[in-house]
Amino acid sequence: MSLAGTTGVLDAIRADAASTAARRKRRLRAWLLPWLLLAPSLFFLALFTYLPIARVLVESLYDRPHGTGAAATFVGLGNYAKVFADPAFRQAAANNLVYAVGVLVPTLVLALSFALAVQRSTRFSAVLRTVFFFPSLIPLVAAASLFFFIFLPDVGLLDYYLAKVGVSGPNWLGDSDIALWSVIGLTVWKNAGYYMLFYIAGLQNIPRDTIEAAMIDGANAWQRLRYVLLPALAPTTAFVLVIALIQLLTSVDHVIVLTKGGPSNATNLVLYYIFQSAHENFEVGKAAAATLMSVAVLLAISFGSLRVMERGAGTDR
Amino acid sequence: MKMFARLGASALALSLAAWPAWAQTRIDFFFPVPVEGKLAREMTRLVKLYNESQKEVEVVASYTGGYDDTKLKAQAAAKAGKPPSVVLMSANFNVDLKLSGDIVSLEPMLKADGTTREAFLKDFWPALHANAVVDGELYGVPFHNSTPLLYYNKEHFKEAGLDPEKPPRTWAEFVDAAKKLTRDGRHGFTMPAGYDYLGWLMEALTMSNGGRYYNEEYGGEVYYDQPSMLGAARLVEDLIFKHKAMPQGVTEAGGVSTAFFAGKASMMLLSTGSLSFIRDNMKMPYGVAFVPKNVRNAVPIGGASLVMFAGQSEDSKKAGWKFIKWLTTPETIGGWSRFTGYFAPRISAYEKPEMKEFIAKNPDAKVALDQLPYAKPWFATYQTVAVRKALEDEIQAMMNGKKKADQAIKDAQKKADEIMRPYVEQTSLKLP
Amino acid sequence: MRMRRHLSAALLAALLCAVAFLWAAPFLWTLVASFRPEGAGSADMASLWPAFAPTVDNFRNALDSGSFGLYYLNTFIVVAGVLAVQCVTVSLAGYAFARLRFPGRDAVFYAFLLQLMLVPPALIVPNLATVVDLGLYDTLPGVMAPYFASAFGTFLMRQTFLGLPRDFEEAAAIDGAPWWAIVWYVLLPMAKPGLIAFAIVSVTAHWNEFLWPLMVISSPDNQTLTIGLAAFTRGAEGGKEWGVLAAGTLLVMAPLALAFIAFQRRFVDSFVFSGVKG
Repeated sequence: MSLAGTTGVLDAIRADAASTAARRKRRLRAWLLPWLLLAPSLFFLALFTYLPIARVLVESLYDRPHGTGAAATFVGLGNYAKVFADPAFRQAAANNLVYAVGVLVPTLVLALSFALAVQRSTRFSAVLRTVFFFPSLIPLVAAASLFFFIFLPDVGLLDYYLAKVGVSGPNWLGDSDIALWSVIGLTVWKNAGYYMLFYIAGLQNIPRDTIEAAMIDGANAWQRLRYVLLPALAPTTAFVLVIALIQLLTSVDHVIVLTKGGPSNATNLVLYYIFQSAHENFEVGKAAAATLMSVAVLLAISFGSLRVMERGAGTDR
Repeated sequence: MKMFARLGASALALSLAAWPAWAQTRIDFFFPVPVEGKLAREMTRLVKLYNESQKEVEVVASYTGGYDDTKLKAQAAAKAGKPPSVVLMSANFNVDLKLSGDIVSLEPMLKADGTTREAFLKDFWPALHANAVVDGELYGVPFHNSTPLLYYNKEHFKEAGLDPEKPPRTWAEFVDAAKKLTRDGRHGFTMPAGYDYLGWLMEALTMSNGGRYYNEEYGGEVYYDQPSMLGAARLVEDLIFKHKAMPQGVTEAGGVSTAFFAGKASMMLLSTGSLSFIRDNMKMPYGVAFVPKNVRNAVPIGGASLVMFAGQSEDSKKAGWKFIKWLTTPETIGGWSRFTGYFAPRISAYEKPEMKEFIAKNPDAKVALDQLPYAKPWFATYQTVAVRKALEDEIQAMMNGKKKADQAIKDAQKKADEIMRPYVEQTSLKLP
Repeated sequence: MRMRRHLSAALLAALLCAVAFLWAAPFLWTLVASFRPEGAGSADMASLWPAFAPTVDNFRNALDSGSFGLYYLNTFIVVAGVLAVQCVTVSLAGYAFARLRFPGRDAVFYAFLLQLMLVPPALIVPNLATVVDLGLYDTLPGVMAPYFASAFGTFLMRQTFLGLPRDFEEAAAIDGAPWWAIVWYVLLPMAKPGLIAFAIVSVTAHWNEFLWPLMVISSPDNQTLTIGLAAFTRGAEGGKEWGVLAAGTLLVMAPLALAFIAFQRRFVDSFVFSGVKG
């Protein structure tokens, strides 16, 4: 081997060593990088999602009587039993079910209907779009205050105009049979326009040809809706369903402002029950148990909806 | 604007802090008011007046909604380590707050001032003493107080053939009037049935029926399942379902006053605290009267007293006490009383010429004052809010036709007993 | 046949107008009532027809009842602060999930998505305790902190990145650009629509947030618009000044409403983006 050759070998060895080091560094970086990128998110998730779950788990196993001077005692599943036995909780859970269905169905139907109605880009449609979407721009608290007036017996907006056509309105918020539906009405009014936008997007993504083909085949509007549009909108519907579910299970602002869960628990919802237990009655153990139970339900829904969303999204990895 | 004012105030405070003798103490003051808007603005004005009148204390006032909400916010703040210094707290929360260790006894303040509890309370109406004192110590200084009043529409009375100057005094007269006043599009009587108000009014009706509602000396007993309260519940139930003189379902206070103004309800039970609000907004002639009696004339007081929260520094406590004293001078509470309709808790406030003149010009304010000899303490127990809601939920169900009165109060008693059990087990059921 | 089609079209249009009117009615009332002079007892206060001389007293009273300027500022700080941090966290996390392979990626992604349902108010009791322990009670950062990581945003950005063609990145990688340059100079500009969509959702959500700030904030100096407004509706023993309430509500709604009207096109388009091909 010539000197040049040796140098070449040395160079090759050095280059090889360098590239191994570089490769090791690259592999280290490749392994480390994702975690670095995820670190900030994981930090906050740990602090405000995972840690609270752990805390709630522990808290739910103790009984801390408030203001009696007694110490906290370990009660195992005692708090869970108490929560199940509490008629207010049972009522709240039942209400939540009714509320969920009562909000989701009209909201989705209206959202789709509105989207179908305003998808053309005329000036009229733009105005309609604004009108339907507006309610989602205001805080739920503001909407609740407005609806307090709207629901006012005799002189409120609803009763006033109903009286002009000779109809006497019920006690919208004070009748325990109707109160929950009034709250549902408020929620539907507030959210339908927001989901309408998603449907507009979904509709715009349906290729014209498909629709035209159906028209050529002689399908009328109804058939087009059932056999072409709805299936094409399935992913949108799945997405909207999930978002809507999240929203309605986790916001009780209107209950806090309008009814405080009454009359006699007719508008009590699980999250409000938790809020009340913790901050009004200081039954922290019970509140924790109820929180954990609702977390379990929410997780189940999460997993279910993730399946649906992923399938709908059709993303590849 | 306020921000610059705050910055300026902080700068001032900082510079003054360099002179210990002139150090300014900042204290937080939470307050509820019955009529949002007008009264909240007036309180804010008073606080500003105080801040401008002296340099030692700066009060930061925060309007915290209703009585229950104020309690919630104050306790949440205390739990988080930032208790407010002074809170205008519903007069009947003192027992609850003392048991949970949230408020401090004001005895040290009295001692530092060189006075005693008896001397201090002498100037306050006797009916107010019980709620202000817990376990023999002063915990709250009454600021404004009320009793329920029967407001009635004089024009409607005339229409129905009733004498507008002779409001009903007994339950019999009352039910009779309610029936006569009811017609198409109008109810003879309505009352607020939302949380907090309903409990208070049920107490009023029960007391008028001879009852007690709760054990004034021990926070672990309430008397829901008793004839006196049963009678009161039945009265309400009958008014709605038998006589059809009262609307079914729950109406909040805001809805009740609105209905009264609009002539949709001829009589209502409402607090004196809303007197000036009614006076300003009622366009038809109206009158006020005592709560009708069945067995006796007796009503609970309402209103609020100033309490100090635990967990603050000594300086903060001193500053808070200074503010409390300023706020409760006969002149100040007299002015507040005239502005709001609450009655002034100080007897001496009524000696002042402005007050005498005001009472002479406004006979409705005088009625509230005349009912005072019949006023009794507001119910206060362990977990006052929860125990109260136990009753309110049942009565609300009754008003919606879901339960009969008998069942409602039985269920209410059961629920209340369950809520108070932890306390009871630590006190009267704790045997050696 | 043609007649029937026109008739049904006309009926549909009429129905649409009726529904739109219903939808708009509350706002019409707010507008009218906020200018209506004080007469809390008038039986016609629900009337949508402005038969009176307009007054700005209600607005003046509303402004007096609370320092709206301060509320606006606080709300703006919260919304902007949350968005700023979220943009960083979701872009980084979205990129990691979309473009990088590493063991446990799927598991961690599912862990992220848990937060989709477990929004901070659902865990309000322990989260409040955490905020207190961190010494952030009654501070604006305390209100913002739980939202800094966003599962929704991460999901969205991942979706966005996955949809971008890889050619530019690969070209940049061949040119020797480090990962952060690729993200900053190549990916993010292309992902702008996704970010804008997310920004709009985030801003709207946090502008309207109530329960969480209510529990965290105690002093009036730190209050946000929603808390300030709620104070109007929760007076105790029974009176309500509806005109002032309407005026206050209008004041709270105004910026978002104006922004929406001005940027309607953009707004709607980014929703078109943001969701959903699914």
